[in-house]
Amino acid sequence: MSVGDTRIAPAAGPGGAGASAPPPRPVGGGRSGGPGGTLGSSQRRIFTVRKGLGLLAFMAPALIFVAVFIYYPLFAGGQMAFRNYNLNNLTDTSWVGLGNFRDILADPVFYTVLRNSVVWVVASLVPQFVIGFALALWLRRRFRFRGVYQALVFFPWAISGFLIGILFRWMFNSEFGVINDLLAKTGLIDQPINWLADPATAMVAVLIANIWYGVTFFAIMILAALQSVPDEMLEAAALDGAGRARTLFSIVIPYISVTLALTVLLRVIWIFNFPDIIYGMTGGGPADRTHIVTTWMIQTTQRGDYGRASALGLIVIAVLLVFTVFYLLAMREKGSKTR
Amino acid sequence: MKITRMTTAVSVGLATMLLASGCSSSSGGGDGDVRLQMVESLTNPTRTALLKELLADFETENPGVTVELISPPTDQADQKIQQMLQAGNGIDVLEVRDITVGPFSANGWISDMTEVLDGWEGWEDMTANAVDYATNDDGQTYYIPYGFYGLSVFYRTDLVEAAGFDGPPETWAEMLEQATAIQESGDGNYGYAFRGGTNGNGNLATAIEAYVADDIDTSNGFKLTDGSSIFSAPEAQDAADMYFELFAKASPPSSVAWGYPEMVEGFSNGSTAFLLQDPEVISAIGSSTAITEDQWDTAPLVKGPTGKAVQAVATSGWGTAESSEHKEEAAELIKFLSSGDASTRFTKENSLVPILTSAAEDEFYSTGAWASYVTMTENPDTYISVIQPRSVEWWTEWTQKADSEVQRVLVGDMTSEELLASWDEYWMEKWAE
Amino acid sequence: MIDTETRSARIVRFGFLGLWLLITLFPLYWITVTSFKAPGSIFSRPLTYWPTEFSLENYIGLFAKSQFGVYVLNSIIVSTVAATVATLIALLSGYVLSRFEFRSKGALMTAFFVTQMIPSFIALGPLYLLMTQLDLVDNRFGLILIYIAVCIPFSTIMLRGFFANVPDALEEAAMIDGCSRIGALFRILVPVMKPGIVAAFIFNFVNCWNELFLSVTLMNRDSNKTIPTAINGFISSFNIDWGPMSAAAVLTVIPTMVLFAFASRWIVQGLTAGAVKG
Repeated sequence: MSVGDTRIAPAAGPGGAGASAPPPRPVGGGRSGGPGGTLGSSQRRIFTVRKGLGLLAFMAPALIFVAVFIYYPLFAGGQMAFRNYNLNNLTDTSWVGLGNFRDILADPVFYTVLRNSVVWVVASLVPQFVIGFALALWLRRRFRFRGVYQALVFFPWAISGFLIGILFRWMFNSEFGVINDLLAKTGLIDQPINWLADPATAMVAVLIANIWYGVTFFAIMILAALQSVPDEMLEAAALDGAGRARTLFSIVIPYISVTLALTVLLRVIWIFNFPDIIYGMTGGGPADRTHIVTTWMIQTTQRGDYGRASALGLIVIAVLLVFTVFYLLAMREKGSKTR
Repeated sequence: MKITRMTTAVSVGLATMLLASGCSSSSGGGDGDVRLQMVESLTNPTRTALLKELLADFETENPGVTVELISPPTDQADQKIQQMLQAGNGIDVLEVRDITVGPFSANGWISDMTEVLDGWEGWEDMTANAVDYATNDDGQTYYIPYGFYGLSVFYRTDLVEAAGFDGPPETWAEMLEQATAIQESGDGNYGYAFRGGTNGNGNLATAIEAYVADDIDTSNGFKLTDGSSIFSAPEAQDAADMYFELFAKASPPSSVAWGYPEMVEGFSNGSTAFLLQDPEVISAIGSSTAITEDQWDTAPLVKGPTGKAVQAVATSGWGTAESSEHKEEAAELIKFLSSGDASTRFTKENSLVPILTSAAEDEFYSTGAWASYVTMTENPDTYISVIQPRSVEWWTEWTQKADSEVQRVLVGDMTSEELLASWDEYWMEKWAE
Repeated sequence: MIDTETRSARIVRFGFLGLWLLITLFPLYWITVTSFKAPGSIFSRPLTYWPTEFSLENYIGLFAKSQFGVYVLNSIIVSTVAATVATLIALLSGYVLSRFEFRSKGALMTAFFVTQMIPSFIALGPLYLLMTQLDLVDNRFGLILIYIAVCIPFSTIMLRGFFANVPDALEEAAMIDGCSRIGALFRILVPVMKPGIVAAFIFNFVNCWNELFLSVTLMNRDSNKTIPTAINGFISSFNIDWGPMSAAAVLTVIPTMVLFAFASRWIVQGLTAGAVKG
């Protein structure tokens, strides 16, 4: 299946405007009531050579860039996964088949790292989503200085992950860190917490940093989606006497569910692949407690073992691909049921 | 049509921007001028500034040659150097470390300078140690050390005195005693700046070596004279027990994650009383605003129950890339940096053990913080110098594994017995290959 | 939502918004305060929440010891050019992918989407070799090319979503009036989609501005470094230079924050119009 087909359009839209469109052509439009007529006209355009060339000309720049600078290095790097490719000794780079993968699977640290990755994704994502949703919901209503507020509260997204890591490493410093100081001042603790050195708290600390960073993306996306919900629908719900909570769950959420689902998918992929904060804060320590697959991969490249690192990279891609396929299938399933 | 004009304007504008951004990086030179690219690895801002001054001097002495210094962030430096060497481009002179010389030469990335350095009078001014390290077992010269690193004890004179001791610790056992007393005195200071993070394995190995000093193989600091590994000796267990007790009783809890920067910071900000470090930090601590000069001093490396300490020298130096098209000029630069004022300044201002005999006679090296280094060099039977197998190609793999296991013992995931067994197994396997 | 808010709901709402604002801004406040402390007093207890005296030493040191102005300039050039070109290219590809049907379309969409899953470290080595062959290592133009490639997939997916919401009828009418397809695209669609395009541009810009690993790998000379690389450089082998680092952090954050302040409304508007399709 291809991702291209998956824009199951407004399964969301209770109006069901898109429902009649034939499946192969993804139905445009997040808004229900997107004029159905426009869908058909482009759908069966006659395919001529001239048009084909035209399309190619339009696509060419994107394709060339992506092929040359992303896929070529990916394949060149990917083949190292099947070789004994160690920068510390390149005199023998023979093919070793699945040897690197076997080594990884035999390493107990791999399973720790995998578990950490799942914790990292889930425990970052859920709070990011919940806080982001709340923020969006409450920002939807106009209030004075909303523009200013929005600008201030969205800024974490504009900082680099590595810098955030460094910043939080500084704040979580057990002797001179401001977080311990504040906790001590408010009487919550009487002994400084060794945030980044204690196996029990290191993951919590990196998660806090990541949540702080990631709420913005959800808030922006969800706010945008919420603003696309037509007011008439909400008014109608209000007339029906539906309560606020009910309106939210039976009208608003279904309406924007596609956006929500795809935003979540994108974030899962990004967070899984996001070593920057951990790299800056703990480097994976203490005792591998905060190592996720991608930070572990960085460490592996640092000792020159490119074969093993590439194998890890391919595992990352495979895991995410499988996840995406299942996720999209589940989404489609749910979509067709709602319909 | 308006739209085409707009697109043209946009594309012309973009093309100009692209060109503008590209043009300044075209390589300079011309007129037979030589431009050398030099890459450093153990980068820090003060050292980089000093290097730039030295390079400027070199350029004045050698008209027609310019040197461009590349200073990658230390974290990624060796990896970056590897990439550049592998690509075979953009590198003439580079910082080669004792831990990178093995891999770099095995891959044919750096060149044997034996010939170009043949007959160079600079050799005569160098210490025996420096000449020794410059030449490998096969008689090849892949780099010339710029200085040496070796451990000594940095301690707080005021805290030691306040805790009722006459002087700094001489043995690991005394270190444990004094550090514990200081930490338990209740004035908020910690005893020992423990290294639990990056390269934390090194100090444990140093302690173990001191405990087995009588039987150690000086040509391979991880081996005993009977061919077994030092980690299998019963004394190694005593050393490990002592060492981890030092963490439990006398070190800041956050030091589980301390690497070089945190340890040095912990000492120079006044919060910990003892630090085991290279001379390199003398200048860093000297510039501290939290502790004054009369509050700290150095002492020779602590000994084991054997009454001996084992000093595993570490070093780093300059070499040339095999792919360099200017090997001769590169060699000139290395000669320049390895002799005379340039070398003296470099070792002095970075506080390294010098490579020149003249510098070693300098009064500078027998006073103050340096005095303990003199004590150590003058008593080679007590302070035994050994060579650790740092140039093996699996050294980085080893340090990653060993660091991770040290941390696992610290957080209680592993016992010290398991750690020693694992280290013993690792090295015996490697040696059997 | 539409009905009037009760008093208690209002308190909850503003309570939450206020609290989150505090949490968001605190790290920024802290790094700013740190940057104005005299170097010696960064490590002193008790912590001071307001510098006893404002010291500009860290900022002066930052510009005196490093070529910070050059890094800023590099970052601005690289990010602006890469984000602009990537957005333009993605405009074309997003347009095709939303308007036309062809056999390889699914595969293309998948290929674009999969790029999001690639950990950059797998490609760094080969990328370095490739750029060496193209003689584009240590060259801003080379870094720009790579940033463009990195930005294209996500912005294509994003812009495709926006196109899907603009009725075909618009550009068809224009084409009947004699516009070429590209004319119709730029003249009719682009103005309608302006907020969406701005949103895509901002995303690209921010990504390039913050990128660390590719820049560290590909840039050698000091005069070619971008800000994240420079900040990474403050972590040296034996200390972390918190003073200048915090000053650099403040100076890096400000431009992006200002950009976000101006653009945040646009971003939301743009995304609303597109109601984002992954």
